[in-house]
Amino acid sequence: MTVICPPLFSEYMRTQHALRELAIVLAAEGQHVLRFDYRGTGDSSGDLEEVAISDWLEDIQLAIREGRDVSGCTMVQLLGVRAGALLACRSAGACAEIEKLVLWDPVQGGTEYIENLRHVQAEILERNRYLSRAERREAMLEYGGHHLSERMLKEFHSLDARAYSSVPKQKLHVVSTSQAAAFPVEGVSRDVAQFSCEWETPTEDQMLPQPVLERLTACLTLT
Amino acid sequence: MPDPDLTEEPLQFGEGGRIFGILTLPSIPPRITQELPAFVFLSAGVLHRVGPARLHVRLARELARLGFSSLRVDLAGTGDSPPRPGLTNQESVAADCKGIMDVLDSRLGKLPLVLAGLCSGADNAIRLAPREPRVIGMILLDPYCYPDDGFGVREAVNKYTNPVKYAARLKRAFNALKSSHEEKKNGDKSVDYLAIRDLPTREQLREAFVSIQERKGRALSVFTQYARPYYNQAGQLDRVLDVEGYRQCCTELFWPQVEHTFPLELHRRRLVEEIMTWAAGYIRPRTSPGGLAPPQPATVTET
Repeated sequence: MTVICPPLFSEYMRTQHALRELAIVLAAEGQHVLRFDYRGTGDSSGDLEEVAISDWLEDIQLAIREGRDVSGCTMVQLLGVRAGALLACRSAGACAEIEKLVLWDPVQGGTEYIENLRHVQAEILERNRYLSRAERREAMLEYGGHHLSERMLKEFHSLDARAYSSVPKQKLHVVSTSQAAAFPVEGVSRDVAQFSCEWETPTEDQMLPQPVLERLTACLTLT
Repeated sequence: MPDPDLTEEPLQFGEGGRIFGILTLPSIPPRITQELPAFVFLSAGVLHRVGPARLHVRLARELARLGFSSLRVDLAGTGDSPPRPGLTNQESVAADCKGIMDVLDSRLGKLPLVLAGLCSGADNAIRLAPREPRVIGMILLDPYCYPDDGFGVREAVNKYTNPVKYAARLKRAFNALKSSHEEKKNGDKSVDYLAIRDLPTREQLREAFVSIQERKGRALSVFTQYARPYYNQAGQLDRVLDVEGYRQCCTELFWPQVEHTFPLELHRRRLVEEIMTWAAGYIRPRTSPGGLAPPQPATVTET
């Protein structure tokens, strides 16, 4: 069974269709697949400002348990996308029942990801030149168009590359969309499926990265 | 963290359960909710039911706190609803609409409805409203509007007298000089949403507002900066439609400083507040006679 740990914020919106397509392809290959939304995101309960990283780590555990209960599968593999990769490794990477973790364009760490969100916010502000001074001041506190709690920010900063290095290397497989993308742990198997994802662009336009989906399918169906 | 004010339920309905949506129900006695319309959030463009930056989720939950039920739905080909091959967009939306009406009937009874949508969601709401007599309200975010008589003049004045536009043009020219040939070639990858929209005709647009007016319903239209190529003054929709009693039942807002998909939280908050205030107009004061609240005085404003 594959549990898909989605990315966050605009990246979640952009990949919704692609991850659904992937789930359908994997199901056609005979796999059980579980997609879910973390608390405070998508259709799940709660507001973003009420939740913390620890809730999301727990959500991944819950999703794995639910998927196992429903499907009857004992072995599980995780697909983590962007920040979802970091969360997946931190939450369940070391668990014995996790056979494999496939990571699509994993973020380097929480601090780098927050920087990325600040960059996205700067681009949004650049487009919104007519904000009043008060509005601009308020918007400066947003991250990629979202209010994040102090607790959430602190927890993001504490999520670093150790989340990846805590996982046995042979379980990890990285799929990058750029040759230049770096992964903080050396010696991990890696594929490059060229596609311009432009993660740092402030948009919610859907993407359908066919080469990436093909690569992910191959990784997740490899026995 | 269950919300004590509401419950949410995923639904698969329509032929073979092909349409996916989330039903949000308020946790207050049904005798109150039975008097209120239910809201249907139509998915926008290729975005799925949660709406841009979760806007539909937030609206559904805030509305539930006021006592309204709602369904946020993936129209065929979006989110978790598969496309309907062989059908045109309008045929597909009409088929989805039948499924939506049936499931709402079975779950909530024949409640009056408010259709809400952004962009193509607004286009679909406009086409569906006249056909379905139960629709007594529309929330249209960046609906299409045809130019009125003064549109061209206003556009020219805005183009040649706005110093900010000159500054932006200079900046673009400067950036173009800086960027390499390759960057220029790959330059603007933004999607022209207007070009891919299945726009309602002028007649369909008018018919939608006439039907709402005749049903003593209400409509809220919000135009953002995205609409500027076709809408440039608050009140333009009123003039184009020329529907008697428009100002008694329709609120028309022009927010030229706000982006199409409300990417800033402060703009989303403003929109949610506006919609909640508008929706509260359906709630009858305790002292007034039965039925829905009468239409509130509407506004046409630019901010």
